[in-house]
Amino acid sequence: MDRAREDAGLPVIALAGQPNCGKSTLFNALAGFKADTGNFPGSTVSYTSSEVVADGRRARIIDLPGTYSISPHDAAERVTRDYLLSGKADVLVAVVDASVLARSIELTLQLLEMGVPMVLALNMLDEAERKGIDVDVARLEKRLGIPVVPTIAIRGKGVVSVVSRALDMADRPSLGTPPIYDRDVEETVRGILDRMPGGLADGIGAPERFVALRLLEGDPVIEEVAGNADPEFLRFALDERKRLAVLHDWPEETTLSSHRHAVAMDLFEAVARVVPRRKMTLRDRLDGVVMHPVLGLGVAGAAIASLFLVAFLFGDLLAGVVSAPFESLLEVLSPRASESFIWAMLRGFVEGVAGGVGIVLPYLLPLLFMMSLYEDVGYLPRAAYMVDGALHRIGLHGKSVIPLILGYGCNVPAIMGTRILETPRDRILTSLLVPLIPCSARTVVILALVAALLGPLYALGVYALNIVVAAVAGRILSSMVKGSQAGLLMDVPPYRVPPLRSVLKKVWFRTYEFLVAAWPILIVASVIMGILEYVGINNWMNAVLRPLTVGLLGLPEAVGVTLFFGVLRKELSLILLFQALGTDDVAAVMSPAQILGFSLFVTFYVPCVATIATLVREVGWRWAGVSTALNTGIALAAAFFVRVFW
Amino acid sequence: MTLEQASKGSRVRVLKRASGHRFASSLDGMGIHVGDELLVVGYAPFHGPILVEIPSSGVRVALGRGMAEKLHVEPVEA
Repeated sequence: MDRAREDAGLPVIALAGQPNCGKSTLFNALAGFKADTGNFPGSTVSYTSSEVVADGRRARIIDLPGTYSISPHDAAERVTRDYLLSGKADVLVAVVDASVLARSIELTLQLLEMGVPMVLALNMLDEAERKGIDVDVARLEKRLGIPVVPTIAIRGKGVVSVVSRALDMADRPSLGTPPIYDRDVEETVRGILDRMPGGLADGIGAPERFVALRLLEGDPVIEEVAGNADPEFLRFALDERKRLAVLHDWPEETTLSSHRHAVAMDLFEAVARVVPRRKMTLRDRLDGVVMHPVLGLGVAGAAIASLFLVAFLFGDLLAGVVSAPFESLLEVLSPRASESFIWAMLRGFVEGVAGGVGIVLPYLLPLLFMMSLYEDVGYLPRAAYMVDGALHRIGLHGKSVIPLILGYGCNVPAIMGTRILETPRDRILTSLLVPLIPCSARTVVILALVAALLGPLYALGVYALNIVVAAVAGRILSSMVKGSQAGLLMDVPPYRVPPLRSVLKKVWFRTYEFLVAAWPILIVASVIMGILEYVGINNWMNAVLRPLTVGLLGLPEAVGVTLFFGVLRKELSLILLFQALGTDDVAAVMSPAQILGFSLFVTFYVPCVATIATLVREVGWRWAGVSTALNTGIALAAAFFVRVFW
Repeated sequence: MTLEQASKGSRVRVLKRASGHRFASSLDGMGIHVGDELLVVGYAPFHGPILVEIPSSGVRVALGRGMAEKLHVEPVEA
């Protein structure tokens, strides 16, 4: 079969496997600092690709999303299946977690049926060994009819030979041995094949046997295609499926998968020897505490507290070091900014660069490091397990806790992080709540105004109020956002000691998201702001906003421009406030009530432009609008309450 | 009874999974089949998920209560 090839005739190798099988780790080992991986089931939803060189031969590698099966039930499964059926891949590398071989084999068998030349990467052999699973590689090769390469991707072992075996396969393609089911199934398949309209399988891009098996399994997509081609044939196939189910007295939708399970178990027993190790493992002991209904909450609390402690301590330290040179540069630039247009733009540009590296990055980096560490160690799914019950009450999902915590660093990567959630509803809901979380830019305001001028307890109060408000908003929004909420069904991976390299790679990848998606917008916004300031828009802006600032919220008129520009540059809200008031001694010109009102307003109101842009990209204009309105509404209400009740 | 009603530390066998191709296929992916034995390891707080272990493979899976209600099981004598 002549398969279409992507760019410049490079052989295309697609990686597929179950979530958390080490597929992305394998891809990373080959591709360098490019793909995101995690010890969290289902980290890849769209696919990543990279050009690699192995033994002097070049290839394009595609990292497909992890899937538990090839049934088209969720986004990840559909992406993987469509890609494999598109014929773009020359070779499929099925990555298998050897430590859970019995269940991984089922996906391998399904992939074999798709008729793409295939190589098996038998990954995590070290973990399998620890669990007492001994795999006979030669026998597995013989049974599957494809090359099997043992790998330990996290340490780079075997990854080059996977590519090299895959390239051999691309040169001389051959198909493996798809599973043979018991006699009744095989007879039924033959009956369906006899009646299959010509061209149906070619149109789908798969072997005829695959199409017949998918019809027996109950695959809505294939059923539709078959029904369009020949309704008579589809009716026959569905009758056959019913007949088979009755024959075996199994529910219709699980008849074939039960047979496949039997074949997989049989294969597993033939190729693997299991010597059960000691009864109580380290994991069991750790889980006994970490996932204990009471102790586990303590662990979660400690984990979150240390996350913030590290982020604030290191953030403060880093911010001081990084912003110093920028501050001296700005001291030179600032007096000239009013002289000419160019100087004003230049100052805006430098401020934009400084805001990114001097204010956001110092807090974002340690936060991302801690999150990545928790993720790679295997703690995050356990944290999701602990908070799932509580989060369900406000309409969220245990997994939502991850983007929400990322939000404290920067809302932009946090919103991108909602991709790990399964249903559109969960993604939208979490994306709407993320902008309510005070990111590092807003934290700077809370620390400098509330904590420093009113006291640390007030600052804690602001954070507590923020969480309560987010919970109430989640509760209300969850009744508005339609769609189904995914029930939790989550693999709890073993604990792992991640190599530092792998943690740092993830930190880099997420930082890259900030650098690419948020930073340029901050710089552009900052330049625009420089120009507006030069044109002298400040007084006009203050006058326009006067009914809001002075009338409604009781703040000094001068803060109007701060609030407006804060949309463009949230991390500059504080500096802007100093400029607007003409002093950094805020307590001298603003009353405690005004300070608290202003801080609350800044904490909640309109997300910055970079966040809005990300919302538009991830959930669309409409929801980005809802989010903006929601934030502004809450900000106004909070600041107004402070004015009235202080 | 359903998995939701199984007590902590007990061993159960899966008798039936509520209908639904999607549910069945996700359970297959996790390695939970009809006839498989499960060990109920524990419960999360606030009426949260149930943690089960598949003793044959050592795999641990968390199931939300809604999911656990759809899994019919019978107790297994130790």
